[in-house]
Amino acid sequence: MTFEILTNPATSPASLLFQQCLVEIVPENRLTNIAKDEIGGYFLECIKPTPVTKDLWMKVLNSTNGKEKIKKNTSHDPFLSQLPIALQVHLKNKEINWKSFKDVKIASILPKDKNEKLELIHVMPGAKIPQHTHEGHESFLVLHGSYSDEYGNYKEGTVQVRSDDHHHTPVGHPQTGCIGLAYTHGKIKFSGAFGKLLNLIAN
Amino acid sequence: MVKVQNPFAVALVNIADSQDIASFKKIFDYFSPRLKSFLMKSGAEEGIAEEIIQETMTIIWTKADYYDPKVASPSTWIYTIARNKKIDILRKTRKAILENIETAVLPPVESKADENIEHDQKFDLIAQYLDDLPEDQLSLLKMNFFEEKSHGEIADLTNIPLGTVKSRIRLALEKIRGKLEQDGTMANLNRSNESNMIN
Repeated sequence: MTFEILTNPATSPASLLFQQCLVEIVPENRLTNIAKDEIGGYFLECIKPTPVTKDLWMKVLNSTNGKEKIKKNTSHDPFLSQLPIALQVHLKNKEINWKSFKDVKIASILPKDKNEKLELIHVMPGAKIPQHTHEGHESFLVLHGSYSDEYGNYKEGTVQVRSDDHHHTPVGHPQTGCIGLAYTHGKIKFSGAFGKLLNLIAN
Repeated sequence: MVKVQNPFAVALVNIADSQDIASFKKIFDYFSPRLKSFLMKSGAEEGIAEEIIQETMTIIWTKADYYDPKVASPSTWIYTIARNKKIDILRKTRKAILENIETAVLPPVESKADENIEHDQKFDLIAQYLDDLPEDQLSLLKMNFFEEKSHGEIADLTNIPLGTVKSRIRLALEKIRGKLEQDGTMANLNRSNESNMIN
């Protein structure tokens, strides 16, 4: 399934960031991605050049003028440091607006978009998420820890793709809990009485 | 082993070390017209294409330090920056949502201290392999990874069944991965992953 996600081009910031996290935490994917990017580089060298306008070089010089070199560094925040570098970089100096639902915290990490969303989900150790379905497709990448539901256990570096007719009740690992990244096309939908209440808050 | 020095890799190092304008101009002269073709081919108007090039070049200037010749060839690194910038700009008006997205283009990979192989050699291997591919497979890879079409779009355009499109792309990609693996890139990646977990 990760093959599908990785080889279909990212078309939005949300899907790109999701791909980057996916590449980063699964070594095999990194290699696939390097191969894929090398192919991009190869064709870039083969393509017939199109002349750029004469003043572009001056524009480039102007926009680089006075710009400082940016050095590599990553976060020392204990929560952020558990996340892939791509996310650390994206979230640096930004406040994560968590919405808390008892033992589960959800934060949207990109501005709202009617077609898709990218969320961090932090499930505390042993916490249970009420049964819910998903509207549209949800790809869930386990970044840290693990969780399980009626169908199996899902550990760090795995991706689960669920469609809107999929009902499940996930539970965070009793010791580690679970941090995951959910890329969804459409709003998440909770079922059950408590779920209905969550729907009101989450949406 | 003789160290292969790609002139653009040298230029990137010069930019990172001494903010060398001549090296920067060299990169600009070679890559801007190629990026323009790529961007216009993938749907950007001329003005937008040049805007993306301008931003890409600014990133190259400020983040040349991130470039690691053992991880990617210069053209791959530059292609990836431009591709990401394109997604960002074309999709969301002009506002850069992922202001730092380009820094994540190639997650840092630890290099083996004793490894003297520049990435160009890997790139050459891949280029060699791509050159030898039958035209029909090469065109699928080009559509998928350069023109950035989805598997579905490729199936529609070529009249090849979706399943066949996927399996051909998977097969070609696995062969290239195999070549990278032979070079020990895989071992590097695994080691780096372990060290990431320890830190």
